[in-house]
Amino acid sequence: MDELTREFLIESQEGLDRMERCLTELEGHPRDAALLGDIFRSVHTIKGTTGFLGFSRLEKLAHAGENLLGLLRDGKLNAEPPVITGLLQLLDGLRVILKTIEAEGNEGGGDDSALIERLMELQAPAQGMQKVRVRAGVSAAKVKDGREQENNGPKEQERASADVFISNTVLTPPPALIAESANPAPIVEPPTAPAQPDAVKPRAAVQSPAAESTLRVDVALLNRMMNLVGELVLTRNQVLQATAADPNMTLLSRRLDMVTADLRESVMKARMQPVSNIFSKMPRLVRDLTHSLGRRARLEMEGQETELDKSLLEAIKDPLTHAVRNSLDHGIEPPELRQAAGKDPEGTLRLRAVQEGSHVIIEVADDGAGIAVDKVRSKAIERGLITPERAAQLPERELLQLVFLPGFSTAAAVTNVSGRGVGMDVVRTNVEKIGGKVEIDSRAGKGTTLRLRIPLTLAIIPALIVRSLNQSFALPQAALSELVHIPPERAATAVEWIENAPLYRLRGRMLPLVFLGSLLMPGRECALDNTRDNFIAVLDADGRLFGLVVDGLADPEEIVVKPLSPVLKDIGLYSGATVLGNAELALILDPGSIAAKTGVAMSEDEESGEPADGAENNEASRCDYLLVEAGGRQAAVPLTDVLRIEQVPLSRIEYVGGRPVLNFEGQLLPVEDTGGVLAFSSQRISTALSDVEGPKEPKVVVVVCRDGNRQVGIAVSQVLDVAAGGGLFEAGTGERSSGVTLLNDRVTGVVDLGGVQVLPVVAAAPAEWNKVEETLA
Amino acid sequence: MKTADADVKRRKKTAAVAEVCSVRVGPTLFGVRICHILEIIGSARPQPVPLAPAYVGGLVHYRGDVLTTVSLRQLLGLPPKEGAQDILVIESASGNFGLLVDSVGEVLTVSSTDFEPTPATLVDHRKALLAGAYKLKDGLLVMLELDRLDPMRLGGAQAA
Repeated sequence: MDELTREFLIESQEGLDRMERCLTELEGHPRDAALLGDIFRSVHTIKGTTGFLGFSRLEKLAHAGENLLGLLRDGKLNAEPPVITGLLQLLDGLRVILKTIEAEGNEGGGDDSALIERLMELQAPAQGMQKVRVRAGVSAAKVKDGREQENNGPKEQERASADVFISNTVLTPPPALIAESANPAPIVEPPTAPAQPDAVKPRAAVQSPAAESTLRVDVALLNRMMNLVGELVLTRNQVLQATAADPNMTLLSRRLDMVTADLRESVMKARMQPVSNIFSKMPRLVRDLTHSLGRRARLEMEGQETELDKSLLEAIKDPLTHAVRNSLDHGIEPPELRQAAGKDPEGTLRLRAVQEGSHVIIEVADDGAGIAVDKVRSKAIERGLITPERAAQLPERELLQLVFLPGFSTAAAVTNVSGRGVGMDVVRTNVEKIGGKVEIDSRAGKGTTLRLRIPLTLAIIPALIVRSLNQSFALPQAALSELVHIPPERAATAVEWIENAPLYRLRGRMLPLVFLGSLLMPGRECALDNTRDNFIAVLDADGRLFGLVVDGLADPEEIVVKPLSPVLKDIGLYSGATVLGNAELALILDPGSIAAKTGVAMSEDEESGEPADGAENNEASRCDYLLVEAGGRQAAVPLTDVLRIEQVPLSRIEYVGGRPVLNFEGQLLPVEDTGGVLAFSSQRISTALSDVEGPKEPKVVVVVCRDGNRQVGIAVSQVLDVAAGGGLFEAGTGERSSGVTLLNDRVTGVVDLGGVQVLPVVAAAPAEWNKVEETLA
Repeated sequence: MKTADADVKRRKKTAAVAEVCSVRVGPTLFGVRICHILEIIGSARPQPVPLAPAYVGGLVHYRGDVLTTVSLRQLLGLPPKEGAQDILVIESASGNFGLLVDSVGEVLTVSSTDFEPTPATLVDHRKALLAGAYKLKDGLLVMLELDRLDPMRLGGAQAA
């Protein structure tokens, strides 16, 4: 295929995509001249170029469409649903031919006469008025016929009427058309619309600068660039490790580090595409489906500008289509039912994309009938997907997730849209294939929300390197929620057992443990080693929390995921492999598979129930805390209130009325020093205090917090950790105790920010570091 | 008469010579056509994969890719060898893989006139891995059936 044709194909496809978008929009605003102009231009450009390239079949079809569009644009015809349907058919027809050209290099031998007739017919009302007024009576009757059968193929009757109109057009061809079809220029005077040529031209002129600053790049080339950047990241990791000891290399390797990181980001950005690329296909889908299913639905889209890696975007196209179908078929009820239920007869389907950290969340929400949990339960039992006992135990939310199992469908009837029980399964499989997750949330009568959690990129992920069996393994950071360190002296008592299932008490919650060593080498003893430090990586795999006991921890590293041979993937523990900075190979552990593998074993041995169940209620009251140490005691600051952590020279702490304050970004910040950190530090260096500029100048750490509208600082000796703290409930009353939280297994006082004195009131009683101590484990 | 005919035919058809890389595994000299070899990685220590099928010799890093290696020793029922081994990187339709051998020898030019098919007396599963042998002056060069050594194929065979 020559360059020109290829260019033409790409351009045409883009034009058709735009046309599709505009057409569905047009239905809502049938008189929008800008939209009509846009659509007209797309078809017109195709027609112009095809004539030049000699694709006569395409040209004929485009020509027929153009005539119709011309009438629309000139306001001689209204964009009523039948017309739009016809135009969408034209769009599909054009796409088919373009595809054939792409695949075979020629237009193929298909016959478009039916479609062309159809398009001619749609022009009829206008032409009837304009040109064949004499026959007005006849045409009007026939036009009506044609309209009524918009969705059917051309029947005898229609054909008859079409014949009449074809002869009309043939008899009176607008002279401009003939001249124009031989003219390849993309922007020509619209043949049937001499009235408004200006509406077209300025727009085209505006578009050109954008075209000059962008460039089409072959995806294969981008993939290759991504691979090369992956290689570079690996090499960088190795260089960094190799040069760590050499001071002469520090600068160079730091520079290399930065450039690599930048390059990586740029290449990744180059591969990013807005989700609107797939969202834009949805209005058409929704339109077609609502028509064929007899539903009424309004599509709302949000966050279209959210960007996602090109390959991931491709991968979620099918799942998303499935999800939308499901929503329209199973979710949104027919208008009568909706009305009966007191809802707006028009349902709402909401597509929303939003970036959350290293993931993009795509939600498909409808306000339809929702999923009846009981139905799911009985269906799952009926299909043998779950035992009745297990079904009785599962919380509703988890029961809902059963719809993702293969062979599950609650639809009473199989429609041609969905109900075969493959949809949701496909959604999940496809999303999980790219490392994403799917969740469903539904309330009977209120609607269903399907949430796809897609990683931003596939190729390079942050991971923690752990050691086991004298080998390195990579744990994706995304699944890692925290690390628990168990010193040798606690090794003997830290693990508790129910039969042969090891458990660890994490902040009062029983965490099932998996010993990586014995998982990988069956027969190896499951026990913590009391001669060295032990580590538990607390992993969150699809909401299943478990602890992975590893022999040791190495550094976190950005790893480049390399695919594994299917033979090794089938083991079901590894999602890939990677090359580490020290040139060692490491297998990437798949927390989800590990959970699945070991979870099954656990429930067989002992029906201990979901160990997480009890703590689930706690979830709501949990939040992250910054764990700090001040004056030898630990205290917690709610992480949401922490603005920043500053290390300031002691000399910058000034005193107002005996109270320490910090001049922080031009504002006076009251500093809380209950731990006596400031006093301690200044005592220790009182001799050196005069030498403020000296290298030994002491520094203190001030945690800058938000308390309502004001900001306060807290002087601490050290910031220890960030950890999730659970609420504590008073024994007996069950009331939540304030001021304390469970952090790293210890009851820890939460700093009362409100208690920090307001300035400039001279210090009275400082806020209490709430009582700490008391270990649980 | 018939055998003589066939003999003549064969000689005619296969006067061609082939270049074969010889590798040693245990006591046997095996041959791999060099056109299938992408690269030879000398004295490598593949990273073991816990829980992998026994014939998997581990993983090696090859030009930015992670290759699965197949241990010829294991396939032939020989005890594992300590220390570094050589790896042939083999090009295969389903993706490249590594072939773990004791040591790589030299490239030999063999004539098809010296070719003998695999003897029928060999055990079936072993026979499938071999493509026949070339008679050399000082012994046999046993040709490997590379298609059968592909980890994908081996995986399928074991599952079946």
